[in-house]
Amino acid sequence: MKKTFLTVLVLLMGIPQALAQGVTFDAKVSKRTLGLNERLRVDFVMNENGDDFNPPSFKGFRVVGGPNQSISNSWVNGKRSFSKTYTYFLTPAQKGSLSISQATINIEGETYKTTPIKITVTEAVEVPRDPNSPEYLIDDNLHLVTEISNSRPYLNEAITVVYKLFFRSPLRISDGRAIENPQFADFWSHNINIPQLKVENGNYKGEPYSLVVWKKSVLYPQKTGKLTLEPLSLSLVIDLPSNRRDFFGNRILQQSSRTVTAGRRTINVKPLPEKGKPANFFGAVGQFNFDALLSKNALKATESFEIKLKVSGNGNLKLFNLPELVLPNTLEIFEPEHTENVKTSLSGMQGNIQDNYTIVPRFQGKYPIAPVSFSYFDPKAEKYFTLRSSEQIVDVYGGPVATNANNNSTPSATKQIITNTDESFRFIKLKPKLEPIVKKQFWNSKIFYGLLVSPMFILIAFMLLMQRSKRVSDDLEGSRLKLANRLSKKYLGEAKKNLKNKTLFYNALERTLYNYLKARLKIKTDDFSKDKISEFLGNRKLQAAEIESFIALLENCEVARYSPATDAKMQQDFDQALSVISNIDKKL
Amino acid sequence: MSWILKLLVLLFFNVFIVLGQDQGAAFENANSAYNAGQFEKAVMLYKEILESGQHSAELYYNLANSYYRLNQVGESIFYFEKAKQLKPLDEDININSAFAQNMAIDAVEVLPKSQITQLKEKTIALFSQDGWGYLIVLVTWLLALFWGLYLWNKVPVFKRTFFVSTIVLALILIGSLSTAIIKSSITADTAYGILFNKKIEVWAEPNSRAEVLFLLHEGTKVQMLDQLQEWQKIRIANGSEGWVKEGKLRSLKGFK
Repeated sequence: MKKTFLTVLVLLMGIPQALAQGVTFDAKVSKRTLGLNERLRVDFVMNENGDDFNPPSFKGFRVVGGPNQSISNSWVNGKRSFSKTYTYFLTPAQKGSLSISQATINIEGETYKTTPIKITVTEAVEVPRDPNSPEYLIDDNLHLVTEISNSRPYLNEAITVVYKLFFRSPLRISDGRAIENPQFADFWSHNINIPQLKVENGNYKGEPYSLVVWKKSVLYPQKTGKLTLEPLSLSLVIDLPSNRRDFFGNRILQQSSRTVTAGRRTINVKPLPEKGKPANFFGAVGQFNFDALLSKNALKATESFEIKLKVSGNGNLKLFNLPELVLPNTLEIFEPEHTENVKTSLSGMQGNIQDNYTIVPRFQGKYPIAPVSFSYFDPKAEKYFTLRSSEQIVDVYGGPVATNANNNSTPSATKQIITNTDESFRFIKLKPKLEPIVKKQFWNSKIFYGLLVSPMFILIAFMLLMQRSKRVSDDLEGSRLKLANRLSKKYLGEAKKNLKNKTLFYNALERTLYNYLKARLKIKTDDFSKDKISEFLGNRKLQAAEIESFIALLENCEVARYSPATDAKMQQDFDQALSVISNIDKKL
Repeated sequence: MSWILKLLVLLFFNVFIVLGQDQGAAFENANSAYNAGQFEKAVMLYKEILESGQHSAELYYNLANSYYRLNQVGESIFYFEKAKQLKPLDEDININSAFAQNMAIDAVEVLPKSQITQLKEKTIALFSQDGWGYLIVLVTWLLALFWGLYLWNKVPVFKRTFFVSTIVLALILIGSLSTAIIKSSITADTAYGILFNKKIEVWAEPNSRAEVLFLLHEGTKVQMLDQLQEWQKIRIANGSEGWVKEGKLRSLKGFK
């Protein structure tokens, strides 16, 4: 804390016993009623020196100065007067009734207190100023004003900001320049060029003033909410008449430099209403017309035509994109050429923007140009409007047909086939060839499975039949064998019985052989000669060896009747007869 | 029992023959309406025939042409596809279908297919489902016949010949049977549809928090995959997949 001592000390020693007048300790305030912006001086005055001064807490105030201490000690006509003062400068911190509470001091062993003082704090008061000071003159006669056409615009609605400098006599402005040009953040801004500053006559708060339009801007807010406009600051050189006069009696002008600042302004940007917002709204705000113009309706393939999408009117023309043109992909489309023909005046952007599409159809056919819709918001009507172009069809004749058969059911035609011949659209078919939609499906049907399985059964049946027939044929052979055995048994039975008796055996054997031939070949008994037998047997397609063995057997029988024979020989002949008979029997 | 069935089938066909004669006249009426430029009337008449339960590639083709004349892309492409299902290789249908495709906004580039896939698809498309069925039955009968001949014959040269041809036929049977089964499972599993929305967003996931992948327009042929509530998963010819919400898709499956 900085302490200032204003001390007037006159030291006159030897007078300790000062006249004991009554000791006083008082608090004095400069005013009891004050404005919030004013200051208050509080003095604590005592007429005897004391110590251990204890100031009050000054609740509700802020100490802006002090404590300053001053002591005065004077002798007038041998009379001493002493005073010691503690001074505080206070500003009220709040309105209302406040009180400065007690201060205490210790004078010669006794404690003295001041009485509390009530202070009434009122509203801030206008501080009157000196009307003759140049500062006052400038402040009073020079105003930089920001004029905003609409402080509550919609998003993307144009607003204009005009900075006007008002001044009146006795001021004259000899020079000026902008120190700080406002940066319009969150706005699309366009400065309207003012070629020369002109002084016009105008009114400011009902009083005639001269005015200069310093700066004009068109702003399109790009963000919703509260946006602040940075102030414009101008540095001006101002000529002020002084009270002095020159030799000729003219007032001498006093030059003074001054910086003026337009106040900070807040713009509350409203968002566009969500209600009724079209899906294809891309931020166009204003009043517009929309056209889609086709240069040709019918053309040959590989010629070109143009589609012009054009938006004209009044609004944020440079700030939105034109709707996209949706076209069949088989058309060759070049990047659209974007042209802008927009003038920006104080009322906003005006003119037209257009996208120019150049399109070359390569294949013949009909190409629908889907309607293009363009939506905008009219801030005046506070409504959305949608404009649609009409659907148009471009007829392309001549030239190849694109076969873009992306048909998976016909894999042979999956590629993009371009037929080079000048195919034209084919006529309808004249023969109906109708068939019921609900057709019986063969696949997976009972008939299908029946036909699929039945050959297997047939095959199995065939195999069984074959096996059976084989068995039967085998059986046939067996039966023949059985028959032969039966025959031999029948014919050779007698011979077998007589195996022990040589004569009887060969007789029986011979008879048996003849009987057999008689039975099988139906030969009469009379004709039995060996030649005859071999002839008969030869007729029956018997092999010579078999015939010979038969004849040999017969001869054996004859020979054996007259020659000795053993049992073994008899048995051998019997077996041979058996085999010969069965052999012949097989062949017959 | 089988006699009754046969009789019924015979009656059934007779009814259709009679109906067919009526519809033939209707078809001619529609054709003359088309030729006179009354395409709405032609569409109406063709549809009447369709509603009577009869169809043909020619009918679908004429209907598609009428829609093409009326500049209705989606309908036109839909019926051209229908016609192609019945007659995939008809020149008229393919040429006019190309005109309709030109009219559509989207030209989807078809994914190139590997040779194996092409071969597979070509093989499957050799015959219709029923065609494969008839082939299988024919081969089965031949197989049985040759087998029988092999078993019956005793001359070694013939026996050998029949044996080899039996083996060959068995291989053909296995091949054609598996092809037919694959074909039937493919047709059961894959459904194609034509998009009728003027414009629709295709999303990465079946919810609106996902991102929009691309846009499709009327007349695009899509493969219909999974379904989740009002969302339908689709695949287009270039292989891209995505979900559409409440899409107006008309399935090409079945004839309705």
